[in-house]
Amino acid sequence: MSNLLDIHHVSKSFPGVKALDDVSMSLAAGSVHALLGENGAGKSTLIKIITGLLHPDTGDVVLDGAPTRFNSPREAAAHGIAVVHQERNLVPRFSVGENIMLDRLGKGSLSRIDFAAVNQEAARWLKLLDLDIDPQTPVSRLSVAQMQLVEIGKALSLKSRVLLLDEPTASLTPAESEALFAIIRRLKADSVAILFVSHKLEEVFQICDTVTVLRDGRNVCDSVPLAGLGRQDVVMMMIGRPERISSRAPRPKTAAKPYLELGDFGSAAGHQGIHLSVRPGEIVGLYGLVGAGRSELAKAVLGLYRQTSGTVCIAGAPVHIASVAEALHRHGIGYVSEDRKGEGLILMHSVLDNAGVTVWRRLAGRLGFLASGAIARRIGPVVDKLEVKTPSLRQTIGNLSGGNQQKVSVAKWIAAGVRLLIIDEPSVGIDIKTKAYLHDLIHELAAGGTAVLLITSDMPEMIDVADRILVMDGYRIKGEVENDRNYERVSQAIMTHIHSRQAA
Amino acid sequence: MDNRRGLQILNNDWAGPALICLASIIVISVLQPSFLSPFNILVLLSAIAVNMVIALGQLVIIGIGQMNLALGTLGGLVGVCFVGAIEVWGVPTPLAIMMGLGIGALAGMVNGAIIARTGISAFIITLASLQIFKGINLGITKAQPFYGVPDIVKQFGNTAVIGPLPWLILPMLITALGLWYLFRCLRIGRYILAVGGNRQAAELSGIDTVGTVIWAHAISGVLAATAGMMLVARLQIGQPTIGDDWLISSFAAPVIGGASLSGGHVSIAGTFFGVVIIAIITQALVLFSIDPFVVQIVLGGLILWAVGINRFREWRFAKMEAAGVRP
Repeated sequence: MSNLLDIHHVSKSFPGVKALDDVSMSLAAGSVHALLGENGAGKSTLIKIITGLLHPDTGDVVLDGAPTRFNSPREAAAHGIAVVHQERNLVPRFSVGENIMLDRLGKGSLSRIDFAAVNQEAARWLKLLDLDIDPQTPVSRLSVAQMQLVEIGKALSLKSRVLLLDEPTASLTPAESEALFAIIRRLKADSVAILFVSHKLEEVFQICDTVTVLRDGRNVCDSVPLAGLGRQDVVMMMIGRPERISSRAPRPKTAAKPYLELGDFGSAAGHQGIHLSVRPGEIVGLYGLVGAGRSELAKAVLGLYRQTSGTVCIAGAPVHIASVAEALHRHGIGYVSEDRKGEGLILMHSVLDNAGVTVWRRLAGRLGFLASGAIARRIGPVVDKLEVKTPSLRQTIGNLSGGNQQKVSVAKWIAAGVRLLIIDEPSVGIDIKTKAYLHDLIHELAAGGTAVLLITSDMPEMIDVADRILVMDGYRIKGEVENDRNYERVSQAIMTHIHSRQAA
Repeated sequence: MDNRRGLQILNNDWAGPALICLASIIVISVLQPSFLSPFNILVLLSAIAVNMVIALGQLVIIGIGQMNLALGTLGGLVGVCFVGAIEVWGVPTPLAIMMGLGIGALAGMVNGAIIARTGISAFIITLASLQIFKGINLGITKAQPFYGVPDIVKQFGNTAVIGPLPWLILPMLITALGLWYLFRCLRIGRYILAVGGNRQAAELSGIDTVGTVIWAHAISGVLAATAGMMLVARLQIGQPTIGDDWLISSFAAPVIGGASLSGGHVSIAGTFFGVVIIAIITQALVLFSIDPFVVQIVLGGLILWAVGINRFREWRFAKMEAAGVRP
């Protein structure tokens, strides 16, 4: 099989860091190639070089056997290389058809758009993807998964022969991912070369043929067949040590009185009849597909959605929580948002300000003045303990890696001494090493008597961390599974609860 | 089904403002029948025509997700240049109009080019050019009006085509329909809204965002120039103060009409009703001899109300999504 795209010994340096060091990779037509590596391993830099956003210092990008040099993603697209980025890149108010054909709406600025032709052409690509969507539907009405597929349709409509998918399943449900894989398999049969970047190894083994692993900007392996490799081998290559899968023993049950108890709870977000309790020292998992209402439930507890029915008890006493400030300062509830960059951190502020924001109120002097010294004394030990890799507390947090940002978002609640911590999707976009570290940290917190409510769509993570798993669907709790760390049994039980929806 | 369609019409951006227009026209004409006299309608329509073109000048920039603070002083500058060229150089009127439009387009392109190339916010750049345009204006006029407005221009600004319809609504119709067509059917119009709706997506799709921003500001400049010259025709002199009071209403009308200030969505019809509402309020206060300061307060309240309505729509939309209501 001939190679469509070759990366030949590419190196790229940025001031102070060598992002890629003599990296090679080959993509063949009609195969799916996994690009793996922890955060900071150089995957994004490599993708940017392939799409012309960056130029290599040394080495070549070889397309069809000839070295090429693209000056922009547009030029790369013209040569049949298209990317579907991790973030959605669609214009929400525009129709599906217009989005797919956005760069081909007309010849000149003042030319009249032939909408019939645009929709007809778009419909062709939607049909190819088995997407039953009218091209005239506004993109804002689609689900995240549909938007993703529309972007793939858009990439294909550029007659792409090389398709780069950057974490395509990050926001998809398992069923939606399956549908995506079916499409990837079909594209593969049509001789498209596909590069698949993902943190989810199960998926990689499911659909990829070959794999390139990067670590610290270098090849650990270069385009080897995945067939002979096991999951442990790949993990070993990525982090240099084998990953532990559910090696923890189930933790002893605690008999303490629940810290948070919801009885027949309903909210303005649409929850109904929610019964839930979290004891001090207990880790309760909340599993469900995207859209099941888990994050919304956390936000309803914090007072961001109005309570419409039922009761909320904190340490046995009925309460009504009206605002996040009240949740934190009166009841000691902290929330680590799934949207780290949007809701969790102030990216342009320092580590100190981000971690300290929860304790300002308590540490403020009589006149409301904040002494940096006092805050640093409080924050410093926590930041050290979590092994946040930052040159100083003054460092702007936007400059840290995703894993370290996540540590800071947890640190700020630890510093605040919360008694109930709600953690929403703690490991989205986090490398395996930091993920394992965060899991240890959650266990340590619980061992220290903190009640933890864990929300995650990552099944292995749920089974590795939680004591008890509540399964949520359609803004209701569908059932509860005791977690004995037996992956097969527990995941089966969870799925049974979710699929009981038709019966219910 | 019919019932639902009826409700959908009410969901349009312009439905609310249109209902308010209708209601206030009925209330005011009952209380003060002279409100609907042909002369009053002529005066009202003349004001609406000019203010609509001003609002459209801002609407284009709102569509791309920016703001143009220099709209008024550019309109004023073109107004005095237009009269000055006729009075001082004896330039024929049609040529002076073309020159005025050219100045508007050029000044807009310069604004747009600086904004797009430097990446500095349009707020800062147009704040600076607001000052520059005003300075040039005062330098040319020495703060004194030009009086040499040709009779044909004066007539255009103060007479009716037929009945109570002033000539001034002609440029308003042309620009409003032109812009409607542009946003709906032309590539550049869709690109302006695409850049306003999601700049990164537009860029990654291969749209020339720099060129699109320049286009938007050029169109805005041409509309500012048109409105400036329309005001000269209406006032019958080249006042150096033309444009000083455009800013608030240029934002108010599009916002009342449902435009999203973050860009990507505009409504020409909504903007029109926004302009009409502002004109009716201003007029009504004169008719009932209410203190002018009330106009300011009412206008401010209207902007808050309009922003609130838009916010409510977004919130309801998000809630419908959360509840899984999808086609």
